[in-house]
Amino acid sequence: MVDMADFHVDIGPQYEGEVVRKEDMHVEFGGPKAKAKFELVTLKSMDEVEHEKVEIIGPDIKDMAEGSTSSIALLVDIAGEELEKDMEPVIERRFHMYMNNIEGIYHMNQRNDIWIRLNKESFKKGLNSLKEVGDMLIFLYTSELMAIEKISITFVTDEAKVQELLADAMKIYAARDERLKGLKEEDVEEFYGCVLCQSFAPTHVCVVTPERIANCGAINWFDGRAAYKLDPEGPIFGVEKGECVDEVRGEYTGVNQNSMERSLGEFDQVYLHSAFEHPHTSCGCFQSICFYIPEVDAFGIVHRDFSGPTVIGESFTRMAGTTSGGRQVEGSLGMALEYLRSPKFIQGDGGMYRIVWMPKEVKERYQECIPADLFDKIATEDDVTNADELTAFLEKVGHPWVKGEVELP
Amino acid sequence: MTTTIVVAGKGGTGKTTISALLIQLLSQKGVVLAIDADPATNLNLALGVQVEESVGKIREDMSEAVSKGILSPSISKQEYLDSKIMAALVESKGFDLLAVGRPEGPGCYCAANNMLRLSIDKLGKNYAYVVIDSEAGLEHISRQTTRDVDFLVIVSDLTQRGVKTAGEIKRLIREMRTQVGRICLVINRTSGDIPVEINNLIEQIGFEQLIAIGQDPNLSDLEVRGVPATQLPDGSPLRAGIAELARGIGG
Repeated sequence: MVDMADFHVDIGPQYEGEVVRKEDMHVEFGGPKAKAKFELVTLKSMDEVEHEKVEIIGPDIKDMAEGSTSSIALLVDIAGEELEKDMEPVIERRFHMYMNNIEGIYHMNQRNDIWIRLNKESFKKGLNSLKEVGDMLIFLYTSELMAIEKISITFVTDEAKVQELLADAMKIYAARDERLKGLKEEDVEEFYGCVLCQSFAPTHVCVVTPERIANCGAINWFDGRAAYKLDPEGPIFGVEKGECVDEVRGEYTGVNQNSMERSLGEFDQVYLHSAFEHPHTSCGCFQSICFYIPEVDAFGIVHRDFSGPTVIGESFTRMAGTTSGGRQVEGSLGMALEYLRSPKFIQGDGGMYRIVWMPKEVKERYQECIPADLFDKIATEDDVTNADELTAFLEKVGHPWVKGEVELP
Repeated sequence: MTTTIVVAGKGGTGKTTISALLIQLLSQKGVVLAIDADPATNLNLALGVQVEESVGKIREDMSEAVSKGILSPSISKQEYLDSKIMAALVESKGFDLLAVGRPEGPGCYCAANNMLRLSIDKLGKNYAYVVIDSEAGLEHISRQTTRDVDFLVIVSDLTQRGVKTAGEIKRLIREMRTQVGRICLVINRTSGDIPVEINNLIEQIGFEQLIAIGQDPNLSDLEVRGVPATQLPDGSPLRAGIAELARGIGG
């Protein structure tokens, strides 16, 4: 059993946010100067984990020169009846908090970007072994997370060995990201709102969901969650999702309520995934516009970097003038380009199958989110220059929307 | 408690030299975070250190990573910026330097700047002093750095134009919803007393403190040799003026 009295330094939340400057540093692990570094939590079965074991592979703190930088791998194995695979990243994220709770230790970042510093004072007090750091982490993990029944920690400081292990860790991180990218509005209780642009567009309220990134493309759902936690009084805030009123168009009671309050009563109804009737408001910062083309009853996409005229003869700048200002403009939706990747992209209007034109650059960049059977049927500036040519093009290639094959949900 | 000092003024008044000497003096009392927020000058050269990464570059790299979709969804951009800023810090004896660097291109920077401001605010809390060498327009004060300023030091030369610019800066900072403590005017490169025409203008605008620094004969030699201003000999008029300034700050 680990006891706090055995430790050479103190542990507590008062040490969080404490920065170790280079002048005060004894040694550092990871960071920009280290070749390889990462931390990883792995769930194992009960008989695979030797409880409270701390192993060090490579040199320990006391073997290192003052002021030196070392590679590091921090491997934590856990076991417990109630633990699930999905909890690994959450438990791994606790490293950051726990490490920073140790007097004289500073921890930044996560995964393969970690950066840990130990200050001279704590080293002098006797914190000269990773064994003790491991004991402290085990103490913190087991006293705060009861579901962890068994835990062991391995520190690897041998550079070649860290590099070898890192390759496998990268595969695990990539797999986790894939799962996260699949997060849906149905999976969460809270969305986030942003009113940073209200200085330009006083009634604009951006709504950020796992399937809708902010218009500027800079804030996704995870960013919203982090920003709100860090600065709860700031311009980015939580939005209670409420009841889902219209699953297809993306209407939620909580979002409606929020928009009414934040737009000073201007709008009380918002469809998150439709450009018609009650579209999301547009600030002035959007990366692109999804615009209605009446001749073919479909949509085109144009982004800020496209300087020429679009298929309807107007440039991005000209259209931006009529789209922006924090209003709901039917058939003209300011949006982030990344919204094209959302499975709910204007799903109320037919989604990607309702798109008939976009600049070549956008089409190439977002190729993977355009269905293969549709890709060649979306026109670009190379194919057509006006609505008449567009109509002829769509008929020639047999665009599914023009052929009437797309059913609105 | 961190004391935040902004040094501003018209170009060519010696603002950056004064910032560097102030940072050097304050760093003997407590650790200083120096922020070079004027892309037109080089505070790092005046301090004698090298800069490898700027905040502007970090911001551009982030928007590029976002547009290519290579940022992991599980790492928030705030955390990303926090870590990049830590890595961009030039860590020196008694002070750390952060360079803001190049200005923005077209497109929207509201979100990025808001995140940068949070990062830099949080970072600043670890220091006894934050000294910001700002451009005259104070752009970065509102956009990226802290909102509250304890001391605003405005540097002017012995000209009507310099003092009028100082008046503009004073008006600007009040308009920006920024909380400001004391405002001090430094008239640099005086020769003898301040002439009555300039003195009248100074009194008309009104500053809480006025410091006059005489022409420093030792500086031009350093400038010619490319030696950092921080190597100015003891007893230089500039050092005496900075010591007076620091006393006002409580350093």
